[in-house]
Amino acid sequence: MRQTSPVIKQRRAAKYSLGGLIRRGFSKESWPRVWREPEFGSHYDVVIIGGGVHGLATAYYLAANHGITNVAVLEKGYLGSGGSGRNTAIVRSNYLTPEGVAFYDRSLTLYNSMARDLNLNVMFSERGHLTLAHTDSALRTMHWRAEVNKLQGINSSVIDPAEVKRLTPSLDVSENVRYPILGALYHPPGGTIRHDAVVWGYARAADAYGVDLHQKTEVLDVLCTGGDGPEGKGPGGRVVGVRTSRGDISAPLVVNCTAGWASTIASMAGVRLPITTHPLQAAVTEPVKVFLPTVVVSGSLHVYVSQTDRGELVFGASVDPMATYQMGGTLEFTEELASHVLELMPGIGRMRLLRQWAGLCDMTPDYSPVMGPTPVEGFHVDVGWGTYGFKAGPVSGEQMAACVANGRVPELIAPFGLERFSRGDLVGEKGAAAVGH
Amino acid sequence: MLLVPCPVCGPKNAAELTYRGETHSRPDPNQATPEEWRSYLYLRDNPAGWLREGWFCSSGCRTFFTLERNTTTGELREPLLPGNKVAGRPISDGTEP
Amino acid sequence: MSNHRIPDAPGQLINRDVPLTFTWNGRRLRGYEGDTIVSALLANGITITGRSMKYHRPRGPLTADYWDPNTTVQVGDEPNVRASHRLLRDGMNVSAQNVWPSLRFDLKSANRLVGRFLTAGFYYKTFMKPAALWPLYARVLGTFAPGGVVDLDAPPPRNDKRYAHPDVVVAGGGPAGMAAALAAAQAGASVMLVEHEHQLGGHLCWGDDTDRAEAARLAHAVRAAGVEVLTDATVTGRYEDNWLAISQRGLPGIDERLIKARAGVLIVAAGTIERPYVFAGNDLPGVMTSGAVRRLITMYGVKPGNRAVVFTANPSGDAAVVALEAAGVTIAAVVDGRLGGNVVAAHGRNRVRRVTLADGRRIDSDLLITAVGWTTPTSLLNMSGDRPVYDPEAARFFPWCPPDNVLATGGLAGDGTTEQLVAHGEATGLLAAARAGVVRHRLQHLTRRAEPVTTPEPAWPADERPPLPHGSHPALFRSTTHGIVDYSEDVSSKDLVQAADEGFDSVELVKRFTTTTMGPSQGKLETVNTVAVLAEARGETIEQVGTTVWRPPYAPISLGALAGRIHEPVRMSSIQPWHEAHGAQPILAGQWIRPNHYGDPESEVRNTRNRVGIIDITPLGKLDLQGPDVPKLLNLLYTNSWNALPQGAVRYGLMCAEDGVVLDDGVTGRLGPEHYLMTTTSSGAATVWNWAENWLQTEHPDWQVHITPVTTGLTSINVAGPDSRQLLERLTNDIDLGPDAFQYMQVRTGTVAGVANCIVWRIGFTGELSYEVHVPSGFGLFVWEQLLVHGQDLGVAPFGLEAQRIMRLEKGHFIVGQDTDGLSKAPVTGLETLLKVEKDDWVGKPEVVWALSRGDGPRIVAVQPTDPTVVPEEAAQIVAAGTNQILGRITSSRFSPTLNRSVCLAQVHPDVATPGTTLTIVLANGTRTTAQVMEHHAHFDPEGSRLRG
Repeated sequence: MRQTSPVIKQRRAAKYSLGGLIRRGFSKESWPRVWREPEFGSHYDVVIIGGGVHGLATAYYLAANHGITNVAVLEKGYLGSGGSGRNTAIVRSNYLTPEGVAFYDRSLTLYNSMARDLNLNVMFSERGHLTLAHTDSALRTMHWRAEVNKLQGINSSVIDPAEVKRLTPSLDVSENVRYPILGALYHPPGGTIRHDAVVWGYARAADAYGVDLHQKTEVLDVLCTGGDGPEGKGPGGRVVGVRTSRGDISAPLVVNCTAGWASTIASMAGVRLPITTHPLQAAVTEPVKVFLPTVVVSGSLHVYVSQTDRGELVFGASVDPMATYQMGGTLEFTEELASHVLELMPGIGRMRLLRQWAGLCDMTPDYSPVMGPTPVEGFHVDVGWGTYGFKAGPVSGEQMAACVANGRVPELIAPFGLERFSRGDLVGEKGAAAVGH
Repeated sequence: MLLVPCPVCGPKNAAELTYRGETHSRPDPNQATPEEWRSYLYLRDNPAGWLREGWFCSSGCRTFFTLERNTTTGELREPLLPGNKVAGRPISDGTEP
Repeated sequence: MSNHRIPDAPGQLINRDVPLTFTWNGRRLRGYEGDTIVSALLANGITITGRSMKYHRPRGPLTADYWDPNTTVQVGDEPNVRASHRLLRDGMNVSAQNVWPSLRFDLKSANRLVGRFLTAGFYYKTFMKPAALWPLYARVLGTFAPGGVVDLDAPPPRNDKRYAHPDVVVAGGGPAGMAAALAAAQAGASVMLVEHEHQLGGHLCWGDDTDRAEAARLAHAVRAAGVEVLTDATVTGRYEDNWLAISQRGLPGIDERLIKARAGVLIVAAGTIERPYVFAGNDLPGVMTSGAVRRLITMYGVKPGNRAVVFTANPSGDAAVVALEAAGVTIAAVVDGRLGGNVVAAHGRNRVRRVTLADGRRIDSDLLITAVGWTTPTSLLNMSGDRPVYDPEAARFFPWCPPDNVLATGGLAGDGTTEQLVAHGEATGLLAAARAGVVRHRLQHLTRRAEPVTTPEPAWPADERPPLPHGSHPALFRSTTHGIVDYSEDVSSKDLVQAADEGFDSVELVKRFTTTTMGPSQGKLETVNTVAVLAEARGETIEQVGTTVWRPPYAPISLGALAGRIHEPVRMSSIQPWHEAHGAQPILAGQWIRPNHYGDPESEVRNTRNRVGIIDITPLGKLDLQGPDVPKLLNLLYTNSWNALPQGAVRYGLMCAEDGVVLDDGVTGRLGPEHYLMTTTSSGAATVWNWAENWLQTEHPDWQVHITPVTTGLTSINVAGPDSRQLLERLTNDIDLGPDAFQYMQVRTGTVAGVANCIVWRIGFTGELSYEVHVPSGFGLFVWEQLLVHGQDLGVAPFGLEAQRIMRLEKGHFIVGQDTDGLSKAPVTGLETLLKVEKDDWVGKPEVVWALSRGDGPRIVAVQPTDPTVVPEEAAQIVAAGTNQILGRITSSRFSPTLNRSVCLAQVHPDVATPGTTLTIVLANGTRTTAQVMEHHAHFDPEGSRLRG
């Protein structure tokens, strides 16, 4: 990709600060628009499909790191309307495989400096992340993760029930329960972040560089030439643009940053993916005074929970077993969730569930994403994010931008190429529990 | 919760069955190239629309059967009986709707 | 309290003969049976019931019903109680939430002073520097969390669940809902009528005498017709195929019950919710909806104030004037919104003192009543897939196109007199009953083993109900001033306008940026006002802006109710009570609970190695296989060959999945010509059973094999050790245990300790001479005790899982799932001779063949630490010397009491799998140690002379 200029100056966005709040509080002057409503262009150097954290971060880093600003982000709903706004906003890097650890650690680093980099408070709360073990084999897996993490310089260790209790007094660590807590993997740098703020931060910063953010713009087809399949699609061909609900766009590079619809978009280019789409459900309670200081995950009980600054408990579980694009949610999810969370914290039975919702997760066979080029030239994917896409947003954007801009697959995402499936070289994250939060 | 019509037990709550996912035909294990075999193992159509999928009446009659479900609306089509219609071999015998 | 109560009158629900005492923030007060907490508080002159989330503004009753955002209180150890709904009980300990330090004097109300800076989303714009201080900021913000206090040590609530299968469920017991339930029941349907409030009647309860008479007539008729009536219950969710969640509250002895109902047809008759009006000061105590004062006066005999301004745009506001007058409240002004009147602001510090009207009048009053229109609670319709549409003429949303098995009636569907609503309800009930009949027919038809239905399916009844009219209503959402839109989140219309100006201008973005509709109200009161304010800011119509999606639950439901009584069964063998009586330390293994050891696992090992031990291995998966084609199945599932297994022989086998990854292992023995017993790992028992059934049914339906799981039907005991033969000989007389007659890897059936039909096979997971005895489980404990009695002189002693793990590790036997993982292909095991590439087909063959030819996969090897006293942790990493490059990991590790040194298995990269290689192991404490790769997997008796003895 030709770089339009080595360093593009960011157009001036209003600086967010306490001083600005006070000044505008007195002057009643309003803040400027967070991003433009741009004209619909007919040609872009790069088209990014999906206005979630992955697509917006890719756009931002294309502009910020590579000087590529003639970029469109196409979003069929509103920015952050997919998984970016539906996840439970947990970040961590204590993965099982060295490649996973290196990758997510970079993401955590970017999250740590994000508020400054993007001039928007993303409310990163580094509160510590506990993955509970209720069985010997789970405890062994926690040790495995801890040992791999330590070798990679990640702050991660296995702690005993007494330490679990000290960190999180609301947990029941007694022995005479159905699923006693035998220990936990403790990851102090893990925590929560305000997911919408991450979306808005990247969107605002990308917009300031001149990236066009097109909301309510649905991609209807990916235009290809030279491929084996019908209409020039499929392996051997190359991408020439996209057809959208607002018209055609020509572009030599198209990046599929969707979740839930990754297979649908890829099939428009004639590319088959190792993905099935499942709902991941989450729920939130009415607020109560803050009592839960950490993020608590139990793989065996398929539940994770944290408490927001507003006092709500936010719950999630593992993906629903049935593949579907429907997001209605199920009663069974809330029933299982409640029974499992009451195993961990018997004292919260009178708290009430306020709202449940679901997002779509693209599950791959090895619980790792699919990133980089495809057999269709110019058609890149950043998909298959399962239940861990939000955590990886910043690093995915950074690396996908490098991949697209330089035409080379960066080392950090080399293990996640599509071709690993035809080679049979799967990534080992499957060893970790299916509840990966 | 979805009511899944087991061909033997009748309609049951989906939670009483085991979902087995998209059906796909098994290549000849002695002839398949790595590409073909791994396509069978890993690649999926994952359609947003009608999907042929396998179910297992795990808490009931233990019948494996396939049916067609629309993954965007939840609509079902008539379940297929075991024996003449098998998961992993989505062959039509002309009786399906 | 008397000057806040009006005299007894028809329609009041309180029983003045039963006074109740309760406390409010520690103060003793009195109320009556039938009071809600809020009606009792108001009767005591208490008008401030809480403080707002962000600005800690004083708040009082607004709607005086379940949805009131200002009357959430703490009751004892229960947080977030809806005080306008919860009935008063004697001795109740009620306190205000979200106050600091007290309700009257709240320091955080200082936030009001800086409110101009706390604009929507202000926190996104600040606290970024210095970054190190953000955790501190976050902690301070955390103290602003609204809501009550959870008492983590409180006794858990009591909850239960119920299933129901009614033909028709009616959500809402107002006139239309009651009429629908009655008509459906009279048409022969089984009907459940679910009313959110404590009594049937809906809005008729706070109507006039005629209304109440009609409510009483319908309520009586409904019960007489056999309708199951649930009050203080809510249909909280509608899921696929009319799977309904119903929360039932206020039951004796039960905190909350979840009813899961599969309804043929759901009738949604949820009525309407009165919308608050947005203007300056609209959250002051004393500002109430017309419904609130009508309820308080009519149902609870409470006089809510002394002097009222009423802003009315509909008959409910007009009725409020009548009710207020009847209660002795002075009507200071009636402002008619239908005639262009408007209120601009309410003034006061802790309650309304004065009201400014659009015509410039300023009127002293302590009440400002608004009646500006309705929100349709279409939640259950949204959950059914409907997207309600806005009717600008009626200024509210109406159902659009719900699915065929969901019908709307009552105020949700339109306007009308009581007679019209009842007529529409009746028509809806009849239609529902007819449709439910078709649904029932279909379900029975699909159940082919049920009594066959011979009648043809009835035609699907068409919806020929005459629709209810949509009355005309002025579009009143916001006055010319700004006020609170979302009371529970303290979001004002100004915040919404500012968010829209900043570009957060779609309803979803504005919601996320300002948190409007995201609090405990969940949009019931504020969604439409939000949309209206946004539409105004964008210069669009409400239809163009659209609404957010209502998500379940409709009303919050407790975690305890969702959980119910927790059923998590544990599996155990028939001998488990004995184990517990004899000091066994339990261990959870999957669903099983089993003895880990009886005090000293190492001595259990020594006793078994030197004399004889017995272990209860019942969790071992066991499948009884019968039929002529069993060898075909075994050949397909196992990697090795099963063609020539003689009767009386057992063989070890390894199973893979289609991707070549090790799935399970075990031995299978041939008991008769067409009769086999397969064992699996304990955790794999169900998986293998399903797996085998799957292959039989889907790929090979022509094969004749019948599978019966017998894991718990047989109690399994392993008798191991040099004296095991001698012990077993004492207990059997029809099995020749001679070393030549009953060889290693053979199986016999016979009598053990007088128990017939036992299966005995001679195998050796521990590496000792050993016999695995499978006893019909009713006799398991008996045989176990007989072994102990008859082996006393031989020194027989039980051993547990830990001793078995040590012994298997001494022998180098790997465990699937511990020494292998989710990516371990079969060659990892080093059992190349068991991978029969020449066999035509077996599950996983292609991947295993390719993996063998690549030869680059990891290997399981036995590892001996250089320092024999070092026992590396399981999961300790193996690295390239001097680096952090991972080459493998220790998968199993124990100290061997037999060899008096540590013994390990490891999974390593093939480059370092050669015997004699020195490995570097990083221990958990960070220190590094070395170890050697050994020649054999077995650390102990690699020739196997002991088990073959």
